[in-house]
Amino acid sequence: MAMAKDPLSEAGFYFDELNKLRVLEPEVSQKTSELKEECKDFVDKISQFQKIVGGLIELVDELAKEAETEKMKAIGARNLLKSVAKQREAQQQQLQALISEKKMQLERYRIEYEALSKVESEQNEFIDQFILQK
Amino acid sequence: MRLKTWLLKEPKHEDIVSCVGWTTADELYSCSEDHQILKWNLLTSETSLVVKLPEDIYPIDLHWFPKTVGGKKQTQAEVFVLTSSDGKFHLISKVGRIEKSVEAHSGAVLAARWNCDGTALITAGEDGQIKIWSKSGMLRSTLISQGSPVYSVAWGPDSDRILYTSGRQLIIKPLQPSAKVMQWKAHDGIILKVDWNSVNDLILSGGEDCKYKVWDSFGRLLYSSSPHDYPVTSVSWSPDGEVFAVGSFNTLRLCDKTGWSYALEKPNTGSVFTIAWSADGTQLAGACGNGHVIFAHVVEQRWEWKNFVITLTKRRTMQVRNVTNDAVDILEFRDRVIKASLAFGHLVVATSLQCYVYNTKNWNTPLIFELKEGTVSLIQQAEKHFLLVDGAGLYLFSYEGQLISSPKFPGMRADVLNSQGVSLSNDTIAVRDKRDEKVILLFDALTGKVLSDGKPLTHKMEVVDIALDQCGPSTERKIALVDKNHDLYITSVRHLGREAKICKIGSMVHSVAWNDAANILCGIQDNQFTVWCYPSVVFTDKELLPKTLYIKDGSEFSRSPHILSFVGTIATLRQGDGSLVYSSIPPYAGVLHEYSSSTRWEEALRLCRFAKDQSLWACLAAMSMTHRELTTAEMAYAAIGELPRVQYIKIIKEQPSKESSLAHMLLFSGQVQEAEATLLQAGLIYRAIQVNINLFNWERALDLAVKHKTHVDTVLAYREKFLKKFGRKETNQRFLQYAEGVEVDWTKIQAKLEMEMSKEREKAANASVRSSVSVRR
Repeated sequence: MAMAKDPLSEAGFYFDELNKLRVLEPEVSQKTSELKEECKDFVDKISQFQKIVGGLIELVDELAKEAETEKMKAIGARNLLKSVAKQREAQQQQLQALISEKKMQLERYRIEYEALSKVESEQNEFIDQFILQK
Repeated sequence: MRLKTWLLKEPKHEDIVSCVGWTTADELYSCSEDHQILKWNLLTSETSLVVKLPEDIYPIDLHWFPKTVGGKKQTQAEVFVLTSSDGKFHLISKVGRIEKSVEAHSGAVLAARWNCDGTALITAGEDGQIKIWSKSGMLRSTLISQGSPVYSVAWGPDSDRILYTSGRQLIIKPLQPSAKVMQWKAHDGIILKVDWNSVNDLILSGGEDCKYKVWDSFGRLLYSSSPHDYPVTSVSWSPDGEVFAVGSFNTLRLCDKTGWSYALEKPNTGSVFTIAWSADGTQLAGACGNGHVIFAHVVEQRWEWKNFVITLTKRRTMQVRNVTNDAVDILEFRDRVIKASLAFGHLVVATSLQCYVYNTKNWNTPLIFELKEGTVSLIQQAEKHFLLVDGAGLYLFSYEGQLISSPKFPGMRADVLNSQGVSLSNDTIAVRDKRDEKVILLFDALTGKVLSDGKPLTHKMEVVDIALDQCGPSTERKIALVDKNHDLYITSVRHLGREAKICKIGSMVHSVAWNDAANILCGIQDNQFTVWCYPSVVFTDKELLPKTLYIKDGSEFSRSPHILSFVGTIATLRQGDGSLVYSSIPPYAGVLHEYSSSTRWEEALRLCRFAKDQSLWACLAAMSMTHRELTTAEMAYAAIGELPRVQYIKIIKEQPSKESSLAHMLLFSGQVQEAEATLLQAGLIYRAIQVNINLFNWERALDLAVKHKTHVDTVLAYREKFLKKFGRKETNQRFLQYAEGVEVDWTKIQAKLEMEMSKEREKAANASVRSSVSVRR
């Protein structure tokens, strides 16, 4: 039987290991299924890759956005810094004016104090003189 | 003194606030370039929209119609003028209705001002014109046309002159067409604002050179500030003329009328374009560039008297400090404090509705009475009573709160009176006449009637300062006056019959004050601090005046000091830079005054011997001479080496009769006519003739002799002797005529004189007997 040409196979029928009747050569069938498996693997991997790349893109986008805001912040801060310096200058000017005003007031008080001290010494002198003469 | 400012968190206006104006002391209108007119009620702190103006009206200046019209006082202003950038001005009612719009200038109308009684309105435009309008807005005249815009304009005190800006120049233009125009360069930049106060007659200006300046009405510079950081955009006098406010970018300043600055505030306002004071002078409002309206009230005024220092800590609270024991009292008031005065042991506080009188011995129970009129502008005190001045009149109250009198006079404008123009003593009120400043009106304090003969005191020159002395009997009341030439005069207030002599006692005097306890006068005389220890000396012995002065070197004071008070032995002065200085004088003069007024001459002599002071001796000499206390006078004159006077006093003492010694005392003080009258009255004809002969008053001597038919030969004999001595011939017709019929015989004359003397002696002896008899009865 082995020698003889399998009439079944000639007719294109085959038996597999489980002695089931098949139309496809078992070898081919095996390869096909293998290919199918591989294809599936491939698709899986590709989709995984896409997911990863998508995540990456999102992340980069986010980063870009953040970078943008930071940049704006930095510009703002820089401007603010510039204006603060100006503000400080104005404030300083104001305080300076207030200080000079207070200084003038202090000077007035100093003169008043001096005048009063002089009056005091004059009065003391008078009292001393008065007591002495008596 | 400082400003307490108050700003809302958010501005109420959306654009620049250009102008503000008060209606009452608690209500303000503000106009802004957002076309809104807002009303600010300070009692309820509410802000409400009065009206939204049409879109094409951009307001620039606002001025309320004056409240006092023809002496009648309206309760509040009803209409205001508002100028706008389209060349119109609008009369707008209180509720915001535009009553009238008048096409006034080409270009913006930059300023508009009513005169003091509201009879005329003046507008100034960008086109360089100034126009005068009637009350209802009819054009009267175009006063000025110049090439540059007029930024600001102000009326003079009597509304007869105007002040306006022309670039860097200030110009005063009288309304009378022929009168002289005054013009001067005032600033190094364009002048933005001017103001002219009607009480003190001073001018304020502020400009782009960042300075503000104070001028008098003659264009003399009194003060120039150091430059600010930004242009001065507004200046404004407080109504009483004691302080003024200055506005600039983020700046508000309160200054004394002499220019120095009390306080500086740096609020966040932008430029302050207009400042308006409320009528009582306690608060101000500013129109700010950032849409805000800033409010500020004046606090921390100080009053000092002896050991008490009083500070206005808040609008309604005062703190009293007794510096001798550091005791502190707090005084609370129902309303805002408007004016206060502390002197003679009493504190008088005027709030917007009431008057509080405190005794310094008791701060707990003040005497309170209601005030009819709201805004007291001046308080003057004397020992027994005080004077309140408000817009309507003068009122004298006792410290018990009783209304004593209310002097009235024609043409009275009480709202422009200041402390230089009014003086009060225990029995007299003196007021300088505003219409004619040479005239001083005198009133009896207790009745409010014009004094004695009703004739006011008239000086030959405009008077700038008056002061009544505070002590002694009312019959000897004296008034010191400083005139425009800065000469100091003194004269008696109450006099019978003849016009009082106005005697000059100083020159270059800038400020004077009487002492509160004795009639001692102090003043700044040509930069020296001078004390007239006994000013009345000029009425008895003029030449003694320089010897009675106590002079202190003025080098310790800086420029232009002003005397604030002279209490006890301490004079308080305010220097030009605003600092207070004190000067003490020896207490002897005051004590001497006390002795003399109580005629304790022995003690007075002892005091002078103790003090060993020439000026004190001179005072005593004058005092005792005034009191006809010859023994003391003789000693005092001897002590200062005035030997001729000692001699003369001896002669007076040796006079045979009372009348003739009285006549000689009058002669001593140079009152020849009075002396002669006294003698004639006593029937001592010969003595009267003799007086005239001694003074080489020949004509009068002859007249008397002829009139009374006696001693014609005596007069002729003396005349002949006199001519012979000088080797001259008789030329007088009358003497020649009488000489013909009269024989001159010296022996006869001598005999006659002897007889006269003995007659007088006899008479005097009889009189004394008679008087002693009558006393015994």
